[in-house]
Parts: sequence; C-alpha cells; structure tokens
Amino acid sequence: MSGRGRALRDLALWLLALAAVTAAILPFRARLDKAHVAMVLLLVTLGASAAAGRAVGMAVACVSFLAFNWFFLPPYHTFAVADPLDWLVLVTFLVTSAVAAQLLHLARQQERLAAHAEALREADRLKDALLASVSHDLRTPLTTIKARANELRVYGDEGAEVIEQEADRLNRMVADLLDLSLLNEGALRVAPELNAVDELVELAVQRVEGALGGRPLRVRLAPDGGLLFGCFDLAHSVRIVVNLAENAHKYAPAGTPVEIAAGRRGPWVEVIVADQGPGLAPGDEERAFEPFRRAAGAPPDVGGSGLGLAIARRLAEAQGGRLEYRPRPGGGSVFALSLPALDATADGFPPSVTTS
Amino acid sequence: MATRTILVVDDEPQIRRVVRNAVADGETRVIEAETGAEAVDLAAAARPDLIVLDLGLPDMAGAEVCRTVRSWSGAPILVLSARHSDAEKALLLDQGADDYVTKPFSTVEFQARVRALLRRAAQVGAGERETRIVAGDLEIDLLAHAVTIGGAEVHLTPIEWQLLRTLATNPGRTLTHRQLFAAAWPGRAFGDAQHYLRVHMTHLRRKIEPEPARPRHVVTELGVGYRFVP
Repeated sequence: MSGRGRALRDLALWLLALAAVTAAILPFRARLDKAHVAMVLLLVTLGASAAAGRAVGMAVACVSFLAFNWFFLPPYHTFAVADPLDWLVLVTFLVTSAVAAQLLHLARQQERLAAHAEALREADRLKDALLASVSHDLRTPLTTIKARANELRVYGDEGAEVIEQEADRLNRMVADLLDLSLLNEGALRVAPELNAVDELVELAVQRVEGALGGRPLRVRLAPDGGLLFGCFDLAHSVRIVVNLAENAHKYAPAGTPVEIAAGRRGPWVEVIVADQGPGLAPGDEERAFEPFRRAAGAPPDVGGSGLGLAIARRLAEAQGGRLEYRPRPGGGSVFALSLPALDATADGFPPSVTTS
Repeated sequence: MATRTILVVDDEPQIRRVVRNAVADGETRVIEAETGAEAVDLAAAARPDLIVLDLGLPDMAGAEVCRTVRSWSGAPILVLSARHSDAEKALLLDQGADDYVTKPFSTVEFQARVRALLRRAAQVGAGERETRIVAGDLEIDLLAHAVTIGGAEVHLTPIEWQLLRTLATNPGRTLTHRQLFAAAWPGRAFGDAQHYLRVHMTHLRRKIEPEPARPRHVVTELGVGYRFVP
C-alpha cells in the first residue's frame, strides 16, 4: 500500500474512532463538563498523532474541533457558540492538539536521525576496518614476493630484479588506490603543519633515486640564507613529488636528466620537477590531471596505473596548495607543486602555526 | 663464537620464514612465536639477543608486547609494520622499540638494520663510551664540544649541538621527535615541539651536510624522527 493510501486509511480509521468516542459520550452530554469532553477528544487526537503521524493527527484535530463545537457546545447541532468564553476553550483545544502533534512528530524525527547517524558511524567503522585489513592483507604476499626476489637477485639472478621492482610497483598502486578512494570520500587525513622543504626534497630523492636506473637526477635547493619552510603535510607532499619524478622518468628520453628544484614564489614555496621529454600538447594540459589518463603519444608499455597526476593534484589541493604544468623553456615539462610558505626563525620559537 | 638467538614474532608463517632466511646463519639461531603471549614467554625463557616483532598480532598490541618485554629486558626490538602509521611507529619507538621496518621490506635493508642493532647492543654491553665520533669527514669531539668537517670548524648553536650530540651517540638508531625534543629542551612540554625541532634540525643540517638533499650524516625518517648514519 502506498504512503498516501496508508495515510488515508489511517485517517479513516481514526475518524471512525473519533466518531465512536463522540457517540459514546454523547448520551452523557448534560452531565459532562466541557473539560471532560475536551480531554477525551484530545486523547483521540493524540492517539492519531502518535500512531499515524502529524498530518493525520492534525486532520483529526480539526475534525475534533468541529465535533466539539457541533455536539458539545450550546447551541447544540450548530457551529454557533453561545458563551463567548467557549471560543477560548475551542481555540485552546485546537492549539493543544496541534502542539502535541508537532511535538510527537519532532520526537520521532530525532529518533530517526539518531538511528541514521549510528548507522553511518557503523558503516564508517566497517570501511576503516576494511581498508586497514585490505592494506595489511595485500602487503603480506608482497613482502614474501619482494623478499624472495631480493634473495634471488643477491644470489646472481638478474631477472629477479624485475620481480622485485614490480612488487614495489604493486605496493605503490595499492597505496594509490586506497588513497584515491579515501580522497573521493573526503576521508583522507591530511595534516598540514610547519615543515622544511629541505626534508621534502630529501625524502623524495631518497625514494626516487634508485628507480631512475642511472638517469642523472639534478637537485637544486634554495641557496643558503633562503631556508624554506611551508605549511604542508610532509608524507603527502613527498608522494606528490615522487609521482612527478616517476612520470618524468617515464617520458624523458634516455640519458636526459630529471630535475628537482625548490624556491620561493610570493606566498608559496614551489617544488618543481622538470624533464626534457616531449612535454604536453597544448590541449592536453588540463586533461593530463584526470584519473586513468595517459598521454596520447605515450609508448604502450609505459608502466604505472594512470592514477599518478590525478592523485597528486587532489593531494596538493587537500593541503591548500596547487599542482600545475608549464612547458619547460627549451623543451619538456615542468610540474610545479605550490604549497603555502611559512616564515620561521631559528632563534627561539617560530610564530605559532594554525592548522586546519 | 657464541651462538646468537633471534626471536621472530609474527602470526604469518611466510613472514617468519622470510625473516628466518634473512638472518639465520652459522652463528645465529632463530626461534619463533605466533602470538604476543607466546613472545613474552619465549623472551623470558630464551633471553634472545634481538626481537623482531610484528605489529599485527592477533592477541596483543605490539606496543604492549614492547612495554612488557622492555620492562625486564634490554634486548633490541625491531618492529615490522604493514600500515604506514607514522604516529604508531613513533609511539612504538617511545615505548621501547629500537627500530622499525615497513612491509614489504628489502631483505638487504632488513639485514643491515639487524646488524646495526646487534652491533650497538654488543657495544653497550662492553661498556664502551666514546669521546670522539667520526663519520666520513665529520668529526665530533664530545669533550671539547667541537665539530669539524674536513678539518674546518663548524659553529653550532647550543640547541644544534645538543641535537647532533644526541643523534651521534645513538648511531644508526631512529630517534623520535619526542626523544630529540626532550634532549634539546629538557623539562619543556612537547606541545608543538615538532615545529621548533624541524627549524633547528634544518639549520643544523645545512651546516654539516655538503649536499642537504642527499644527506650523509643525519637522515630523516618520515613521520617518526631522525637517524645519525655512522
């Protein structure tokens, strides 16, 4: 039965109840006080509100109001009212019915909201537990694969190096997929705080250097006297720079260097990753940041999950920063990560940092 | 040469096998535990020289095992973690773990960590106390409070000196932000300490590292702290 059908059925039932109650007390009209009648009719109205909802309750209240007037207020069987004070009784009756119906409605709503909130919290807990266990479960076989491949390589099997690298790649893909799903739900924890750009570059270089296979990696930090500090999440920012450097490595021709440089640009600290590859075609510059996008001319065996730039940009924005592309003068790509700069002094304590 | 004993604690048999393969040799005996309770019992019975402890145990939190064992044993504890929770790692280090490795890990790195922990434990056991620390062209004179790089003196502020001294006297060991803060600002509440620490560490490293992007002496351990490379 539809909602509307059910409401009409309830209304009919409760009006019937009202009619029955009215008929029951009608013979005693002469001996009953107006208060008695009002109480009894109010009970019926409250019953309708509690059982069938606010709309039915209000409707029954209106009909009770009319019934009260017609059957129980002199002159009987008219809507006229002899005693002006009776109007007060009638209006009070209606207002009380209405207020009671509304209160019952609100109470039910509160209950529904609380149940809904509890259900959401439960779903959240399950999701967190699932993500944690997936992350844990996937890493165990990866550990075994990587360790065995490492052993094979150490004992002279050169082919095992590929196995180990692919295990590492899988590990990064697992992390990327988990992060993308968390980002989509707005659930990724991003904790920007005062951080040194030196450390950001150091950690990125540490993670990337081994994977470049001998390709030169040029690193330029801001010259001395220009120690750079910013308000960012170190772990996420390192991931971004590593993503950019891995991309640069994929698309740059053999032997050409990948460059990582840090500097200050107005209110931002900027970390750029540059390569001397083909660069992005003029129309592609924004599309490159969409998930599962790969450059039109890219060789088919270029590794990676296609998530890199999409995640990188989202992570940058989640920290109040930006990730942009600009063509490299002389050919190639420059990807620039901008993060909010902070001025920190070494003597004593730096100005307090507000974290969102 | 006396036999060393290493205790491996992990509920996954493959991981225990990986660790066993990595460390077992003619001089090293490996014993295994599957649960936290078993680990505590074995640690008490066998008195291992090193404990490799996985965090994802079914019965006890890794931190609890650490705390329990640390209360009566000085054996170094190397923690294995699968989740990248840096706060968790820092907590473990504060609770008495000596180092950690994240799964999946490279066997070579794992073996290096194990060797470093065993070596340091042996040194401590022998009661050695150095007055001069040398690492590459960096020389630290603990008595004279002087630091030289390639013979040239480097001037450090008192706080930079404290930080370097603390790190250098714990070579190869990751010290948490909390531990370093306590060394440089004794008696102060931790609070927003990471910020102050980072600023001073950055200045220190610019003074002692010829190439700050590829540090030779003090390495950043993301989310946890810093480590002096011997």
